[in-house]
Amino acid sequence: MDRLMRWIGIGIVIFIAAPLVIVVPMSFSTAASLQFPPPGFSFGYYVQYFNDPTWLRPTFNSLFIGAMTTILTMALVVPATFALVRHKFWGKGVANLMMMMPMAVPHIVMAVGYYSYFGSLRLVHSHLGVVLAHTCLSVPITFLVLSANLKGFDRTLERAARSLGATPRQTFWYITLPILRPGLMISALFAFIQSFDETVVAIFISGRDAETLPRRMFDSIRQEADPVIAVISTLLFLAVFLGLIAPHVLRMVRRSLVRVPLPKPKKMAAQHREAA
Amino acid sequence: MAVTVSNLAGRKNLWPWLLLAPLALYLALFFLVPLGQVAMMSVTEPRVGLDNYEKVLTGTLYRRVFINTFFTAALVTVCCLLVGYPLAYLMNHTTERRAMAILLLITMSFWTSFLVRTYAWMVLLGNNGPVIWLLATIGFADPPGILFTRFSSTLAMVHILAPYMIMNIYSVMKKIDPALIRSAESMGAYGTSLFRHVYLPLTAPGIANGSVLVFVICLGFYVTPVLLGSPTEQMAAGLIGHQIEQFLAFGLGSAMAIVLLIVTLIVLWIYSRRFGLDRLYG
Repeated sequence: MDRLMRWIGIGIVIFIAAPLVIVVPMSFSTAASLQFPPPGFSFGYYVQYFNDPTWLRPTFNSLFIGAMTTILTMALVVPATFALVRHKFWGKGVANLMMMMPMAVPHIVMAVGYYSYFGSLRLVHSHLGVVLAHTCLSVPITFLVLSANLKGFDRTLERAARSLGATPRQTFWYITLPILRPGLMISALFAFIQSFDETVVAIFISGRDAETLPRRMFDSIRQEADPVIAVISTLLFLAVFLGLIAPHVLRMVRRSLVRVPLPKPKKMAAQHREAA
Repeated sequence: MAVTVSNLAGRKNLWPWLLLAPLALYLALFFLVPLGQVAMMSVTEPRVGLDNYEKVLTGTLYRRVFINTFFTAALVTVCCLLVGYPLAYLMNHTTERRAMAILLLITMSFWTSFLVRTYAWMVLLGNNGPVIWLLATIGFADPPGILFTRFSSTLAMVHILAPYMIMNIYSVMKKIDPALIRSAESMGAYGTSLFRHVYLPLTAPGIANGSVLVFVICLGFYVTPVLLGSPTEQMAAGLIGHQIEQFLAFGLGSAMAIVLLIVTLIVLWIYSRRFGLDRLYG
């Protein structure tokens, strides 16, 4: 039984890992189209990606739109989250629901809406149009992350600052904001990634001028399956991997700099169990 | 306390509204208006009336696509459960190090865009890809093409959505008090009966969360079915896009979009009545 479970587990892990792994060797292939095993290895497609304006322009568009979306989303969501977490007022339930609604609506439905609405506003095929649409789609996830952070905020710290003579404004800038900084950064990251990965709405409204990277990839996959996509996929994997590994590495470096060795977590867990 | 504070001054009651106003205005202009426009187009294009809905609800093609969408979403949800539950279980019953490694893998998969993972499946299942190559090496002389079929798109959707399921179930399993399992065992529950009467009910919230999330995302899935699926067996989102892009049939596309939206909201509503919506994405 245990042995069977083990093999099932290995099978599932392979199923999840295989698609993440396969693109890497393909990106170094010398073949003109997708072919396995690759006939030879080179950096050819990397050179091609970094020299092809039809790939670089969408990349920059996506980075720019992502950054603008993040700024706009944070400017709108941060005050709203404070209102919804810290205040009681009439209509709060509806407001909460409204914040989550864009997550419940399938993107294709919003894409149809933006396509015709922005068409009448002359915002189709413009960076501004994509930013406005992406901001709407980024609101729920940003709000979720931020409100979770704000709910866990220890308000006695603010009260202590106030009792020591800080004005409300000083309390906000010197106490609330610095404590909230990690939460703010993570929710901003969520907003950025939401925009950077968003495909469906971008397919419909970004057009030639504001073409985003996912739209360019989608078109390319649909038409010719250019192996350059393997390069982009590999680079995106690498970014995600580094993003996930970075906190661990930082923690390890920091820990190695501390002279007094910390008690091993395993031992602590054992002690905890004994105590319980 | 709260009552006295809110009674202190009228100005204080205005403050949350002031903080909320920009976002409320934004969502009204760039969320509700476009959504309203979809609803509007569905009853006015090309002429006023419910013609579009009549077509969507009675036409064989549209009805088949909606049934197909519902069926595929259910199938993907069940497959995600079959993949996710055992893995979440194993993660809770293996060494810390291994569990962390698997968690890292799942998080990586989760954070990689739908599009990249769809492309990866295209590479894997392509005619010159590793799977066909492997089949040929084992001895299948002429393996059939598996790309652009219902099988390939379902497989990719299961892979793409499995992390949602695994994370939901894993987090619930992790919180189960081992004392509950031990006491059940001491009272004579073992094997299947322990699983059915103790473990399964305890993990039910995770299963419900994960399933609803996977099902709802799958209902509106556009990218993967369009790129990997069979052109003759479209899903709802793909057909909506097709109507708009190819035929400029805004009315028909909008009516389908509204039907899709209503089905999605009904599923979420049923769920929220039982569990509360805010827990879904937490």
